[in-house]
Amino acid sequence: MFVRDYMTRHPVMVEPNMSIVEAQDIMAETKVRHLPVAGEGKRLLGLITRQRMRIPPTELASLNVWEITRYLSNLCVKDVMVKRKNVITTIPDIALEEAAKVMTEEKIGCLPVLEDDIVVGIITEIDMMTLLTDLLGGYEAGVRVTLRMPNQKGELAKATGAISDQGWGIYASGGVKTPKDPGHWDCVIKVRDVSQEDLVAVLEQIEGHEIIDVR
Amino acid sequence: MAAAEKASLPKEQQKSRLAKLWDRVSIIFESKVALIGLIIVLFWVFVAIFAPLLTPYTPTEQDYTAQNQPPSRAHPLGTDSLGRDIWARLIYGARVVLVMLPISDTFWLPLGTAIWGVLLGLIVGSTLGLMGGYLGGWVDEVVMRILDAMMAFPVILLYMIIIAAVGASATNVVLAIAIVGIPGIARLVRSLTLDIKTRDYIRAAETRGENVWYIMFVEILPNARGPIIIDAMLRVGYAIFAMGTLGFLGLGMPPPSPDWGSMVAKGRQFILSGSPWAALWPSVAIASLVVGLNLFADGLREESLRYQ
Amino acid sequence: MSNPQKTHAPILKVEHAAISYETRYGDVEAVRDVSFDVHRATTFGVVGESGCGKSTVAFGIVDFLGANGKIVDGSIKFQGRELVGRSDAELRKLRGDQISMVYQDPMQALNPSLTLGDQLTEVLTIHRDISNQEARERSIEMLKRVYMPDAANVMDRYPHQISGGQQQRVVIAMALLNNPALLIMDEPTTALDVTVEAVVLDLIEDLKRDFDTAIVYITHDLGVVARVCNEVGVMYAGEMVEVGSVEKIFGEPLHPYTQGLMRCVPKLGSTKEGSILYPIRGRVPAPKDRPKGACIFAPRCDYATDRCLSEKPGLISYREGHLSRCFYSDEINPEDWSPSSDMISSFSPQETAPAGEPILKIDDLKTYYDQESKSLLSLVGMGEKLHVKAVDKVSLEVPKGKTLGVVGESGCGKSTLAKTIVGLETPRGGTAEFLGFDLSVPVSDRDVKLIQDLQMVFQNPDSTMNPSYTVGQQIGRPLRHLGKMHPSEVKEEVIRLLNAVRLDGSYYKRLPRQLSGGEKQRVGIARAFASQPELVLCDEPVSALDVSVQAAVLNLLLDIQRDHNTTMMFIAHDLSVVRFFSDYVAVMYLGHLVEIGPAENIYSPPYQPYTEALLSAVPIPDPTAEQKHIRLHGTVPSALNPPSGCPFHTRCPRRDLLPDGGKICETEEPPWQYNTEEHRIYCHIPLEELRTFDPVVTSR
Repeated sequence: MFVRDYMTRHPVMVEPNMSIVEAQDIMAETKVRHLPVAGEGKRLLGLITRQRMRIPPTELASLNVWEITRYLSNLCVKDVMVKRKNVITTIPDIALEEAAKVMTEEKIGCLPVLEDDIVVGIITEIDMMTLLTDLLGGYEAGVRVTLRMPNQKGELAKATGAISDQGWGIYASGGVKTPKDPGHWDCVIKVRDVSQEDLVAVLEQIEGHEIIDVR
Repeated sequence: MAAAEKASLPKEQQKSRLAKLWDRVSIIFESKVALIGLIIVLFWVFVAIFAPLLTPYTPTEQDYTAQNQPPSRAHPLGTDSLGRDIWARLIYGARVVLVMLPISDTFWLPLGTAIWGVLLGLIVGSTLGLMGGYLGGWVDEVVMRILDAMMAFPVILLYMIIIAAVGASATNVVLAIAIVGIPGIARLVRSLTLDIKTRDYIRAAETRGENVWYIMFVEILPNARGPIIIDAMLRVGYAIFAMGTLGFLGLGMPPPSPDWGSMVAKGRQFILSGSPWAALWPSVAIASLVVGLNLFADGLREESLRYQ
Repeated sequence: MSNPQKTHAPILKVEHAAISYETRYGDVEAVRDVSFDVHRATTFGVVGESGCGKSTVAFGIVDFLGANGKIVDGSIKFQGRELVGRSDAELRKLRGDQISMVYQDPMQALNPSLTLGDQLTEVLTIHRDISNQEARERSIEMLKRVYMPDAANVMDRYPHQISGGQQQRVVIAMALLNNPALLIMDEPTTALDVTVEAVVLDLIEDLKRDFDTAIVYITHDLGVVARVCNEVGVMYAGEMVEVGSVEKIFGEPLHPYTQGLMRCVPKLGSTKEGSILYPIRGRVPAPKDRPKGACIFAPRCDYATDRCLSEKPGLISYREGHLSRCFYSDEINPEDWSPSSDMISSFSPQETAPAGEPILKIDDLKTYYDQESKSLLSLVGMGEKLHVKAVDKVSLEVPKGKTLGVVGESGCGKSTLAKTIVGLETPRGGTAEFLGFDLSVPVSDRDVKLIQDLQMVFQNPDSTMNPSYTVGQQIGRPLRHLGKMHPSEVKEEVIRLLNAVRLDGSYYKRLPRQLSGGEKQRVGIARAFASQPELVLCDEPVSALDVSVQAAVLNLLLDIQRDHNTTMMFIAHDLSVVRFFSDYVAVMYLGHLVEIGPAENIYSPPYQPYTEALLSAVPIPDPTAEQKHIRLHGTVPSALNPPSGCPFHTRCPRRDLLPDGGKICETEEPPWQYNTEEHRIYCHIPLEELRTFDPVVTSR
C-alpha cells in the first residue's frame, strides 16, 4: 500500500523546448491532464497541467491580434510550466495516505514520483480514487454492510470474528470516526459468499453494534 | 522450349540469352569509374591490334634528319634521339604487352606478355591456394612457407633476379610475371577456399566420395571466380608497370624492341635539354594503361558489392 | 491488490505504417499498412514468416532503418508523440531514455572489449547523476533480477567469457536499467537452446510484471508466441492480416493465412499416424509482385473470390479487439476445411508396419576431437592430450524402413554422430555397421555401394547447393558419378527425381539463386535420393525453413520414405517436429545417449530427467495447454572435461529423489533400464519411480 503500488509507471512526459501546441496534442491523444517535463535521463524539470496552459492576461494585454497568434505559436512548455523547485513530488516508498494528505493540503491533482530526481511514475487524483474503490471493495461483488460501533478497543474484532466464524470471506474494510459523533466508529465491510439476510442475522447479534446500511 | 513451358518460368528466365548477357555486362555501365577504365584499356587494345594501320612508320625506322622533334604533322608525338616515330613505337610496344607473345622469331601466340604472365600465375597460384586451403594440415604448412619465402623478396628485386638469371626475352618476362604473382594469388585463393569449404555443398560432395581434385577444381574454384578475376585484372596492371620498370633499368626487351620502359630510359637524358617527348609519352602510356586497369577493376568490385 | 487494468492510452500506437527501401530498381515496399496498439504491461507479438516485414516494423519504430529505408506513410506514436519525421537527435534521446531494443544476437549490443560491469554501469551513469559505486550496486541488483548466477563476479568478466544465454540476459538487464516504457525484442531467443530459451522467456514474463513495460516481441515461432504474448499481430507479405488476443488467434483464427499456419505447425503430442501437417500452397509474393488493389493472400487462399482479386480488404473488426483483413472471415469456419485433391493422395495417415531387421547397428561408438592444448609442454609434444568427447559410448539400432529421430541441444553430439556414420569423421572406438559394411572407414576409402546407400540431407538450404551450377547438373552428378548411368539417360532420371520432390521439369535449367529456401531444400533431397540410398541422414533439414514450407518438405520426406522403404535418421532440435516425424526417438546430452525408444514412449512417462526438462521447456503453440515448469540451471558442462558418473548430474532437477541427494549420480555411471523391450532409460532413479511422474504436457 505504497505509492509504488498505485502509481502509473512510464508516465507520458514532454520536453521543455516542445511547443505548447504539441503538448496539448499529446494531452488530448493520451487523455492525461498532467505532464511532467523531463530532460536528459528523465530528470524532472517541471510540470505542466491543463490549467497552466492559460496565459496570464497581463502578458497578452500589450499585444495586438497578429502578435498574439505569433506569441502563442512560439510558446514553449518551459515558458508555462511550474518550475522544478515549485513542483511537489514524492517517492515510491511513501505510504499512500501520506501522499494523499499532501495532495489535499496543497490542493494539487498529481504528484510526480521520483527516484534520485528521475521520474519513475506519477500518482494522480484518479489513482487515489482507484485506491478508495479498492479499499471499499468497489470492484468485487458481495454484500456491503455499514456497521456503527463504539469507538473502543476490540469492537472491530467482534465484528470480523463473527463473520469469519461463519466461514465467510472479507474482501475489504474501511473505517472512519462517525461524523459528528466521536464516541462511535463507522466501518464498511464487504463480505462474499453470503446473502444479505444471513449476514444481517449474524451481525445483529453483536452487542453495541448497529447496522446502518446494507446493500 | 515450348511457348507454354517458357511462359511458366519466372520472368528472369524468359529473356533470351543475349538479354541475360547484357544484364550482366550492364553492370559495367552503372559505374562511371569502371566505364572510364574500360575505355582506356580498350583504347590501348585497339591501337595494339590495328597498329600497322595506324601509322605509316615502323618502330625501328630511323631518320637522322628528324631527331628529338616535338609533335608535328609528320610525327604526331614527336621523335626520339634516333629519329624514330614515338607514336609508332608506342603502339607497337603495346602489341607485345597486350596482344602478341613472340615465342620465337617466327611463332607467336595471341595475348600479350602481361596477360600470359598473369594467366600462368593464376593457374599455378590457384592450384597452390586450393591445395593449402582445402587440404590443410602439412600441405598447407608447406605451401604457406614456400609463399612466405617468395614474398620475402621485394617485387622489383625478384623480377631483376629472374631476368638477370635467364635473360630478357618475351617468354622469360612471362615467367617472371607469373612467379612474382603466385604468392598473392595463392593467398587470395587460399582464403576464399577456407571460407567456401565450410559450405554444405562441399560436405555433400565429400559424402558422395568425390576425390579431392574434383572438389577443389569443380566445386570450389568456380565460386571464387569473382574476386580472382578482379585481382587478375589488377595484376595485369602491376605487370605492365613492372615491365616498364625493368625496361627502365635496362632489363627489358633488348633494343631495338619498342619497350616502353627502355624508351623512358633512353629519353630521360633529353628532358632538360628541351625534348621531353621521348620520355614523356611512354610514361603517359604506362600510367594510363595501369590506371585504366585499376579503375576498371575497382569499379567492378564496387558494383558487385554495392547491392549485396 | 485487486485493482483492474487501468484504462490508459497505449504506449505505442502504430497506424497504417508503410516502410520502403530504396534500391537499384526503385523503391521496394517492405511494409504496407500495419496498425496495432501496445499497452503497458502487455506483450504484443508480431508473428510472420521470413520476408513478411516484421523486423522492418520493429526497426522502423525506432528508425533504425539504415541509409536507404524510410517510413513513407502512416504514423507511429509513442506516448502520444509522433515519431515519424523526427530528427535523428530527438529520436536518439528517446531511444536512450524510454525505448530499448534487444536483438537476436547479443553480441550486437555488447562491446567485446569492455567488461560487462563497465557496460552496465555506463547505462546508468551517462544519464543520471549517481556515483560509480551506486551504479555498480544497481547493476548487480539488476543482474540478480535476471537470474544471473554469480552476479558480482560476472560484472568483471568480458562478454566472450559467458554463454549465449547469459549474454542475452545481460543485454536484457542493460535494456531494463533505464526503466524504458517500451521494449522491442527482435527474435531474442531464436539462437538459444530450448532449455535456455525457456529461462529467458520466464524472465521476460517476470520483468513485464514488475516493471509495467510494454513489449513488442518479434518472432516466427508460434510456440513462443503462445507462451509470452498477450496480443498478437500476424503479418504476411508486408501487411498485418490479423490482430487479436493470443487465445483468439490460436483458438479461433479469422484470417485464412492464420488458419493455414495453425494447420502446418506440429504440436507436441501428435503422431505420424494421427495428424498430418498441411502446407500452404504457393509462394510468398516478392515485394515487387504485391498488388495494391487486391488481397495479397488471395493467390494462395482456398476461399478467394473475384472480389478478393479486385478489391483490397482493410483490417475489419469482426469482434471486440479481433480484426482480420478478409471480407469473409465471418463465413469461413476452419473446422470445415478439408484438404484439396492434390494434397489428399499424398498424405494418407500411415499404418505402422512391423519393425524389420535392424539395418544400422552402432555399438559403443566414440568420436573424439583432439583439442590443441595451449600449454608449453604440448609444444614439445609432452603435454596432456585433451579430447572433446563429441560422441561417447553411443549404442543404437535402427530397423529397416523406420525413422530414428535424434534430439538434443547444441553440443550434444548429434551432428557429430551423423558425420561419423556418413564417414566425414572417423570414430575413435566402438563399432558401427550398416548392411554388412563397416562404418568406421572414412568416406574416401569406402566402397561405392556403401556410398550409394548412405546419403545425407543438409540443414542450410542456402549452402546445400553449389551456386555455380544448375539444378540439373547437381542432381545429375551423383547419377553419373555413383550410379554409372549412361549420359543420355541421366536427364530423364533427373526430371523424374524433380517430379518426385514436386518440382516440375523447368527447374532443370535453373540456378540455385533463382530458387526459394524450400525449393532448394527439395533439390537437396532429390540429390540425396538420386542414388536410391537405403539410409538417409537428415541433419536438421527443416530448421532453416518457414513453418509453412516445413510442412511441405516434411510431408515430402515421409512420402519418399514410404515409396522406397528408406530408413531415415532425422536430427533436429525441435521436439515437436521430431515427434511428428519419427518412429523412434533418441535423446542425447553431452555426447551420451540418455533415452531411446519408440516415439510414444519418449513423450510420455517414464522420462529420463533430461528428457523431462527438455519437454517442459519447449514452447507449445497452444496457449491453453498445460505444461510442467521444470527449468535447468547452470549451463551445459564443457565436453573437454565432462562430469564423472552421469553426465547430467550437475543440473538434474530430480537428483534429490535418490538417497544422499543423489551422490551415486556423481560417482557411478547410470545403468540402462529397460521400460519395454525397445525403450530404455539411462538413469539411477528406479523405473517404478520414474513411472509415477505426471506427463509433461496435457492439452485441454
